[in-house]
Amino acid sequence: MMAGERNPASCYLDERTFRLCCQLFLQHSETIQDGWSWEQIKGTDEGFMKKTVLMPVKPSFLHKQHECSMQDENMVTDDVQANVEDETAGVQAVCEIHAVLRYEYHVLYSCSYQIPVLYFRASTLDGRPLSLEEVWSNVHPNYRQRLQQGPWDTLTQQEHPLLGQPFFMLHPCRTEEFMKPALDLAQAENKRMNYVVTWLSVVGPVVRLDVPLSYSTEVSAPD
Amino acid sequence: MADDKDVLRDVWFGRIPACFTLSPEETTEREAEPYYLLLPRVSYLTLVTDKVKKHFLRVMKAEDSTEMWFEYEGTPLKWHYPIGVLFDLHASNTALPWNVTVHFKNFPEHDLLHCTSNSVIEAHFMSCIKEADALKHKGQVINDMQKKDHKQLWMGLQNDKFDQFWAMNRKLMEYPTDEGGFRYIPFRMYQTMGERPFIQKLFRPVSPEGHTLTLGDLLKELFPAAICAEENPRPAALHVNPRCEWGNLQLALPPPSPPACLTTQPVTGTEISLSVPVLPW
Repeated sequence: MMAGERNPASCYLDERTFRLCCQLFLQHSETIQDGWSWEQIKGTDEGFMKKTVLMPVKPSFLHKQHECSMQDENMVTDDVQANVEDETAGVQAVCEIHAVLRYEYHVLYSCSYQIPVLYFRASTLDGRPLSLEEVWSNVHPNYRQRLQQGPWDTLTQQEHPLLGQPFFMLHPCRTEEFMKPALDLAQAENKRMNYVVTWLSVVGPVVRLDVPLSYSTEVSAPD
Repeated sequence: MADDKDVLRDVWFGRIPACFTLSPEETTEREAEPYYLLLPRVSYLTLVTDKVKKHFLRVMKAEDSTEMWFEYEGTPLKWHYPIGVLFDLHASNTALPWNVTVHFKNFPEHDLLHCTSNSVIEAHFMSCIKEADALKHKGQVINDMQKKDHKQLWMGLQNDKFDQFWAMNRKLMEYPTDEGGFRYIPFRMYQTMGERPFIQKLFRPVSPEGHTLTLGDLLKELFPAAICAEENPRPAALHVNPRCEWGNLQLALPPPSPPACLTTQPVTGTEISLSVPVLPW
C-alpha cells in the first residue's frame, strides 16, 4: 500500500460496533423523544432497537386492500392507490376520518451479512395484521418500482430470528450499494459516521419510518 | 467425494411417512378420509402437499377454500422449515406415521408466514442459500452464478432431482483451501423451548491455532446443554440438511448412545439443522 492511499471504508460492521452505534442512537432518541428503545435478549448480550408508530391512512386504503385476492402472487400494480399522499383525493380527504395503522419497527443485527437489518410488523388498531399487499401499497411511491426490480423479493414476510413471529423485512442484499458512497464520502472528509444512523436514514423512509435530520448531525460515531 | 455421494443420496432421499387428517373444526359435505404421503425430509410442506389439498377440498365447499396450513398436536407447523427439521423438532420420539392435522380456516397470523404460491417458497429457499453462501464465501459464489443456475437449484429441489440439484450445489460446497475452508460454517440450532426459534452464530471451521474443528467443538461452544456426560445420555435428534456433506454416516442418524461420535468428525458441511429437544432434569 503506497503512502497516502486509503483502504476503502468497510461496508460491514461487527456486532459490538452495531451495539455501540445503537447506544448513541438511543441517547439521541431519548433527547428528542423519538420513541426508540432497546430490547435485550435475556441471558445474552444480544438485543435490538424497537419503535412503535401510529400512522394515519385514508380508510379507503384498508378497505380496498382487504379485498385483494390472496392468490395473487404479484405485487400490487400502480393501479392500486396508496392514497396516503394522493393530492387528487385531497378534497374529499378533508372530511374523511383517518384510519390508523400501527407499525412496529425493529433494528436487528445480521451476523450472516454483518450489517443491520430492518424488520417491521403492521396492523390495524384492532389488531388485524396487514397483508404483504397492504404493506406494499404503503411503500412510498418513489421506492416501489426500485423494490420490485430486486432478484429476490426485497420486501418479504420473514420469521423474526429472535421472537419467532412473522414480520416483514427489507432484504439486506443491497445495503452495500448505498452504504458504500456514504462511507467513502465520510472517509474522504475525515469524518467518522454512525453506521446505524446513516443506514436507517436511507432504508427507514422506504417503509414510512421517519428518521429526523438531527440524528445525522447530533449522533457521533462510536470510538 | 465418492463415499460422500452415498451419504448425500441417503440424506436427499430421506422420507417421513405422514398421515394427514382434516381438522374436526372444518365443515365438510362428506366424511374426509385421512391422506397418507411420504414426505421428503429436505423439502418444504407447502411444496409437496398439493395432493393433500386436492384430496380435502373434494369434500369441502368451494367457498371454504382459503390458505391451507398444518398443525401437530396444537402447534402450527412452520412451512418454511425443512420437513425433516419440523419432524425432528416436534415428533421424533413418537411412532410413525407422523399424524399431521390439516386446516383451511383461522390461519394463525401470529405464528405462520403466508405461503400463497410456489414462488414464495422459491424466494425463501434462495434466500437461505444466499445467506449460507454469505457465511461460506462472502456471497461470491452465489453472486457469480447465473440466474439459470439459481433456477436449476430450485427446480432440482422442487422436482426431487438429486443430480440436477447437486450439479449446481457442488459449486457452493467448494472452498478455497488456502484459506482453510469456508469462512464461517452456516448452521442453525433449532429449539422448542422459549421464544427464540433458533440459535445462529458465527463459527469458524478452523481454530486460531489451525486445527480443524468438529461438530462437537461447535456444540460445546454454543450449545453445551446438548453435550452430556457419558453417564447421562440425552437424545439429540440430528437432522442433516442435504446442502451439507459429512465424512461420517453416523451423523445422519439420531444417535441412540451419548453423542461421543459427534466430537470426532471434521466439520466439512454447511447448513446443519440441529434439533435438540432439551429434557428437564
